[in-house]
Amino acid sequence: MFRRLSIVVLLAMLSSGAGAPSPAWAHGLVLVMNSGEASLSVVDMDTHREVRRIPVLREPHHWALTPDGRDLLVGDTAGNELLDLDPATFALRRRVPVADPYQLGFSPDGKFLTVNGNGRNQVDIYDAATLKLAKRFPLPRTPSHLAYAPDSSRVFVSLQDTDELAAIDLRTMAVAWVQKVGRVPAGVLWLNNRVLVALMNDEGFVVVDPATGRVERRVHTGAGAHQLFLSPDKKVLWVNNRVAGTTVALDSETFAEIRSYRITGGPDDIAFAPDGKLWITQRFARTVAVLDPASGGIETIAVGRQPHGIFLNPAATAATLSASN
Amino acid sequence: MDSLTYPFDLAAGWLQEHAILPALYALGLMNWEEVAYGWALFAVYGATQVVVTYAICLPLERWRPVERWPDSRAVTVDIFYTLLSRVGLLPLMTFVLFYRVQVFLTGWVTDNGWVPPTIERVFPFLLGQPVLTFAIYVVILDFSEYWRHRLSHLFDWWYSLHSLHHAQRQMTFWSDDRNHLLDDTIGFVWFMAVALLIGIPPMQFPLLVLLLRFVESLSHANVRLWFGWLGERLVVSPRFHRAHHGLMAAGLASVNYGGVLPWWDMLFRTADFGHDYVPTGDPSAEEVLATGSYAAQQAAGVRRMVRTVAGRGAEPAAQSDPV
Repeated sequence: MFRRLSIVVLLAMLSSGAGAPSPAWAHGLVLVMNSGEASLSVVDMDTHREVRRIPVLREPHHWALTPDGRDLLVGDTAGNELLDLDPATFALRRRVPVADPYQLGFSPDGKFLTVNGNGRNQVDIYDAATLKLAKRFPLPRTPSHLAYAPDSSRVFVSLQDTDELAAIDLRTMAVAWVQKVGRVPAGVLWLNNRVLVALMNDEGFVVVDPATGRVERRVHTGAGAHQLFLSPDKKVLWVNNRVAGTTVALDSETFAEIRSYRITGGPDDIAFAPDGKLWITQRFARTVAVLDPASGGIETIAVGRQPHGIFLNPAATAATLSASN
Repeated sequence: MDSLTYPFDLAAGWLQEHAILPALYALGLMNWEEVAYGWALFAVYGATQVVVTYAICLPLERWRPVERWPDSRAVTVDIFYTLLSRVGLLPLMTFVLFYRVQVFLTGWVTDNGWVPPTIERVFPFLLGQPVLTFAIYVVILDFSEYWRHRLSHLFDWWYSLHSLHHAQRQMTFWSDDRNHLLDDTIGFVWFMAVALLIGIPPMQFPLLVLLLRFVESLSHANVRLWFGWLGERLVVSPRFHRAHHGLMAAGLASVNYGGVLPWWDMLFRTADFGHDYVPTGDPSAEEVLATGSYAAQQAAGVRRMVRTVAGRGAEPAAQSDPV
């Protein structure tokens, strides 16, 4: 009972970015979504070895933890379903039919689940409690990543094939604006009352006014900027540059570069470990890189083909893995 | 399985990272990077198919050839067909079209309250059993291919395109992919319809696809090879498929339509397990369909189809008897 509760609390902290690093602690399990071979890899953080390969239907990409931390939803895009997993054991609880679930995320107030249908050019807003579709927004083309305003008033979605960012007002359930932001927008992040959008066909990200969609500033990080992540202590902004093959740490206030790390193989998503290390999926290398930002040391761990989303649970152990997987 | 597929993934990843991504970035086409990686995987597996097939089939053809030719210039165009089909543009188009249509249609089915069909949903125990799952997919797909192939011989407008495949008199392991683009397109639409019905994942079983494509190439090889009484009834052999390409079997009344499994020919009484290694070709086809360049063959195929549809074309060997 207490073990379960501690897991829930810890996951909620990590998902909200509130967990402070504790340098000497690196236990737990990591779940990696292998989008190219219909499986999930479970990696032991102690041994840095894959301890289980869980088969899924088609193409798992991203995940979202429910606001209460009790359910881990993994989107199987081509399989058209959300896999509802126990975040402690990764046991499958149920399959929820959902069209084309690519990127997904719960609103900070816990009321909505936004699901980007990357291949179907639609953004679906679900009632988080019931997983009933509240409204569908046809948004051509290729809705990719998303981020919410902290007050849950809006969700911002990058439209990869039209170089746009869309803002959806969740109070009126209407599209507030759609604006050009730069070439091939991908990762989206809310930071310091602004929306940051990584540009895959450019050399960094843009800073966008969330009220109007106007681009206010461009920040250089490297060619093929793909994803943006804020460190759990909110001091460091991490940017993965797909073409440059780098992961760059920036001061989250000034955007001044702190350090650049060479990460080959198409760096994609990042999960932050309590010991301060970054677990980075390498999309084209079939590996996960574990980066120690302090030393710059990098270790790679073999997983399945095209690892994409990555979920880290420091409270889980190999012993807690479900026997049913 | 990981250790077997790892080198392919590594090669595709290297290609993606060091050649494709920089090119896409320079061209302003980074939104194609996912698709490009799919193509890189197809291309790496396709190139391996070509190399493996060459390494095995060429010695076999040298060892026990059915026919010897003074020169093999007519084979050259078949090499081009093979590279185009397995490494080049066609896999890219297949991946792009198939993936996009599959995502769109299965998503639409889900929206309408249905669960898109997949074999694994019907039989959940298949999840995590890739070899068994693939075997079931192969049986279903081969059955579907049998009927597509048989129908391509039944309708004369369709055969006027398919005759390009049969026109080759110097049939070798390179001949498997010599098809008219329109014939390939129909085949693709056919495959996609079936794939959507049973939910085939495009790149879930790459090594096994490689094996099947090898069987299909081998079945066209210029080699005196058969698999024994039982083997002939389990897998299509060069001798079995050669009967399909026989001069007398070209056209509407052929035999041995099966691609990998001869079972459907046995079931629907179109099997011929005769022991002859017959000469190949299509007597009704223009010479250019046998020996012309790629472009000339494609043009001739269209001409023949137009003539057939207009009712002015020479009928393919409709009156010929099965071998």
